[in-house]
Amino acid sequence: MESPRVSRYRIVSRMEKAKDHVELILEAPVLARAVPGQFVHVRTPGTLRRPISFSRLNPVRGEAGLLFQVVGPGTAWLAGREQGDWLDVLGPLGQGFPRPEPDRPWCLVGGGVGIPPLYAALTAWQNDVTASIDAILGARSQDYLIMLEDFGAQIDHPIAVTTDDGSVGAQGTVLGPLAHWHARHPTGQVYACGPMPMLAAVARLMQTSGVAYLALEQRMGCGVGACLACVVMANGPEGPLWRRVCHDGPVFRAEELIWS
Amino acid sequence: MNLAVRVGAVRLANPIMAASGTFGFGPEYQGLVNIARLGGIAVKGVSPGPWPGNPPPRVWETEGGMLNSIGLQNPGVEVFCREDLPFLRTTKTRVVVNVIGRTIDEYCQVVERLEAESGIDALELNISCPNIKEGGMSFGQDPEHAAQVTRAVRACTKRPLWVKLSPNVADPGAIAAAVERVGADAISAINTVVGMAIDVKRRRPALGGISGGLSGPAIKPIALRVVYQVAQSVSIPIVGMGGIRSVEDVVEFLMAGASAVMVGTATFAEPGTMEAIIEELPGYLARLEVSSVHELIGAALPGR
Repeated sequence: MESPRVSRYRIVSRMEKAKDHVELILEAPVLARAVPGQFVHVRTPGTLRRPISFSRLNPVRGEAGLLFQVVGPGTAWLAGREQGDWLDVLGPLGQGFPRPEPDRPWCLVGGGVGIPPLYAALTAWQNDVTASIDAILGARSQDYLIMLEDFGAQIDHPIAVTTDDGSVGAQGTVLGPLAHWHARHPTGQVYACGPMPMLAAVARLMQTSGVAYLALEQRMGCGVGACLACVVMANGPEGPLWRRVCHDGPVFRAEELIWS
Repeated sequence: MNLAVRVGAVRLANPIMAASGTFGFGPEYQGLVNIARLGGIAVKGVSPGPWPGNPPPRVWETEGGMLNSIGLQNPGVEVFCREDLPFLRTTKTRVVVNVIGRTIDEYCQVVERLEAESGIDALELNISCPNIKEGGMSFGQDPEHAAQVTRAVRACTKRPLWVKLSPNVADPGAIAAAVERVGADAISAINTVVGMAIDVKRRRPALGGISGGLSGPAIKPIALRVVYQVAQSVSIPIVGMGGIRSVEDVVEFLMAGASAVMVGTATFAEPGTMEAIIEELPGYLARLEVSSVHELIGAALPGR
């Protein structure tokens, strides 16, 4: 595994992926060898870096993608970067997704800005999986839905889409299509990333059978496990304990976590 | 250029140390920071048993700084001795163990447990953390309580004893003088400044712990004023901290009366901050036409 370092990388392209969502592709051979689900801590003008997971990893071209939502001044600054600009990046960080089991049906479930790491996972491992591969993508509305075309170029059958307002796909959340998928593939493997309530619901659904890996987001300080800011409640050998999203995660097995 | 300084009996190769709570127990920044180059590291606060800490969110960025409400999550002194001290013993730098408790007895339990262990150069008594309900900052609020806990811990150890002060008090000089009288070997100043933020999207306090400790460049003027005042109230050395991110910041603290400094929040954005400062320090001192760090300590104090 690549050990984390602070380095500067050149932006080779910039794309508006949806309302308030920008993807930057970095010329970064070291980062391109990272594991899907891992993330980088990007320097912005503020006090803290911004954690962003990889949207694509292309070790052949030596390129890594970062797709983020503009939520405050830090990400607004980042969205203002252009092709040819340089980013100061700490990474790769954290524990990514495991390689999927080849003979288990595989479902990638993404909500909002949680979709990108699942695309990185899909492109890294789709050729390893001989069982069926499905994707379920959810967003607030059509304006905010990202990466549907990217997934469509990789998966040759319809991708389930849900939106809160029904402006595209089915009205509702990813949980509806996931429950259907799980009924058809009770021993399947689910990789999910999205808001905490969505991940909690995915974990509940998968309690009965199958396996689920969840990529978490949390307010983060150092990014390397030193400051203990980005914790999540998990099962420990002697009862509940806080684990660090940045260092122990961001990917956890669903049954490791405790949901309040 | 002579970068070496002394904090009482503790000799540091240079005056730049990592601040408690920002550098874990040492190994977290391996590969990103060359620990051997640092003057020392202060590890995260250690309590008698494991402390869970506060609910997230635990950090929130603010203008010129950040708030934290970690709540001193740590595995307790027993696990610290078993799992963290072996690594710390291998580091070629000074190791300062930050000590925390809810009661005077708890502070003493930690210090007594550490007495048998090698690889510790100084203890930093944390009577200034704003993020716990009992203990911590409540002991640092007035000279009498600060002296009580310091006196009790002093009786448990011969190790160099530093006392870390809170800026959230009327007269930090009086508290520093009180702990000096009962045997403190140095003063660390400052811990974070109590503050809060509101998350307007959730209509709730931004931090899980409601209020938190403000750190970063925003608090540097507060820290300098405390160091400057404490320097005129005690004759023991001072370790200064609060918003340091450049060599000029370090020199300000030295001139205000600090013998050494700690860098904390700046490491999060730039893990190389401390090493960059150490690299730049000789050139900066040369431009000030001094040949040692020592010459600058207290240079801005009245009568100097």
